[in-house]
Amino acid sequence: MNRFVSAAIIISFSLLAFCFECQSQVRVTKGMNEVSFLNLSGFKTQGDNVSVAFRRTLESDLTRSGWFNLSGGARAEFTVIGNVKPDGTRIIIQCEAYNTMTKERCWSKTYRGKNREAHVLAHHVADDLVFALTGQPGMASSKIVIVGNRTGKKELYICDADGAGLHQVTRDNAISLSPRWSPDGRQIVYTSYYRTQFPDIFLITLASGKRQCLADFPGLNSSAAFAPNGKELALILSKDGNPDLYVMDVNGNHLTRLTFTKRAAEASPSWSPDGNEIVFVSDSSGTPQLFIIGRSGGAPRRIAVGGSQNVDPDWGANGYIAYSSLFGGQFQIFVFNPATGETKQVSRDNTNYEDPSWAPDGRHIFCMRRQGYHSRIFIVDTLSSSCISLIKETEKGDWFAPDCSGKYRNIR
Amino acid sequence: MTKNYLFTVSILMLVCALAMTSCRARKGGRRASDNIGGEIGSSLDDSLPTRVEGDLNILPSVKYDAVMFDYDSAQIGESERTKLEAVADYLMNNTDVGVIIEGNCDERGSADYNLALGERRALAARAYLIGLGIDGDNIQTRSYGEEMPVNPDHAEFAWRVNRRDEFIFFKR
Repeated sequence: MNRFVSAAIIISFSLLAFCFECQSQVRVTKGMNEVSFLNLSGFKTQGDNVSVAFRRTLESDLTRSGWFNLSGGARAEFTVIGNVKPDGTRIIIQCEAYNTMTKERCWSKTYRGKNREAHVLAHHVADDLVFALTGQPGMASSKIVIVGNRTGKKELYICDADGAGLHQVTRDNAISLSPRWSPDGRQIVYTSYYRTQFPDIFLITLASGKRQCLADFPGLNSSAAFAPNGKELALILSKDGNPDLYVMDVNGNHLTRLTFTKRAAEASPSWSPDGNEIVFVSDSSGTPQLFIIGRSGGAPRRIAVGGSQNVDPDWGANGYIAYSSLFGGQFQIFVFNPATGETKQVSRDNTNYEDPSWAPDGRHIFCMRRQGYHSRIFIVDTLSSSCISLIKETEKGDWFAPDCSGKYRNIR
Repeated sequence: MTKNYLFTVSILMLVCALAMTSCRARKGGRRASDNIGGEIGSSLDDSLPTRVEGDLNILPSVKYDAVMFDYDSAQIGESERTKLEAVADYLMNNTDVGVIIEGNCDERGSADYNLALGERRALAARAYLIGLGIDGDNIQTRSYGEEMPVNPDHAEFAWRVNRRDEFIFFKR
């Protein structure tokens, strides 16, 4: 009898906790949908190129964040004042934000940097403003790593979250695939055929340009993804006779095999924000579907979602899993809440949206859109479903497999 | 009671012995008897051989038909088996030659999943060749996923020819 009572208490407590969680989620989501008017007219910039570039980037970042409407004028909820002072080859930026009604100062900060880094400074100012006024992390200073084929071979490229500063990272003249950032944004792990003509996993350290091979076992080495602690990788290897999911230290030690599906292929691991679980793709049920497994192994559990295929999961720091789902012949981006089992479709138009990657703001998703003969990178707002192109139309070639840096920034 | 106990023990011992022999057979894994009549398209749960790397002595004049696959499948269809039998015959008669099986997919769906599916297709052909008596140490696998289509078009007639295993032969 006693046992029943305690069980009942535990159950009701967990229900209560569950409800609280739901409630807080609802509240945040509701707040998130609101757009605040922001008055930037008091932010003085001179007519020089650097200041103009800074101002343009700041405005576009703030609009892109989804939180602000910059057309409010004097009626705006928040007022931002400040100025950009050129100082030889450097600029100094002073910035303050006020609540227009109460005249209360919410935030102020001074930034210094080189002229040619004006747009980088603008990204930082935008993220700081977003955080100061909404309490949410921004995405403007994130970097996006993508695969491009404009040279005739698939190579890695990096650009800012607004598509600026696009530059080529690898020149392997081979196939480069599925790049993923390290949590600190200093390294990229990816799959390449360049050294052995077989798919191997490599790690690039951006500052030094150094590259090291992390896995070149017989057969397939692919789909490496950093754990949130930055010390381990989940990866797919076929060295034991079949593509299966493994976990390995970044230095190549302590290889652990997590799945043992003799007749199935595993792919696309992504870690839970606490690092205790991994979501991945397996076709053990006949078609590629999503499964979750403990970081030390055990029985995988299938995520029951609709769609004839569910692939390319990305587990966000917000706890939600973004994935691509095949519905009526087309791939669309969906978001799954593991706590409630609910799903939400976030991309909607009549094309294919695939390979989602969460931005650190937990609101936007970078993904690939295949339309006709071209694939390009788009940013989808999961709240408004607005969808904008990352890379200019004028940039040659197709773009694939985006990964946004700083995913865990807000929980670190 | 004692009789019963003895019976249980002997059954257990028999089971253990059977398990040990089957493990052994799997470990050997490279003999014909292992896979003949076994499930077609399944891969052996057995470690892959060390890679052949560097400048291989490729034999470009040795060509065999690609093995084709259904959408999202790594099963070797009945119509494709004679192609693998021809490859096996060639390897039987040329014991100094090894083969790299390249698994490929059509462009639809997840590129990352297709990499794993392509490897499954290559491993399925490898398992079949092992079943026909070829030494598994002579068979390497390489998945290209959807990255190396023979026909880059975006329609069923292209997809059909892109879902394939190709065979690259090299002098050992």
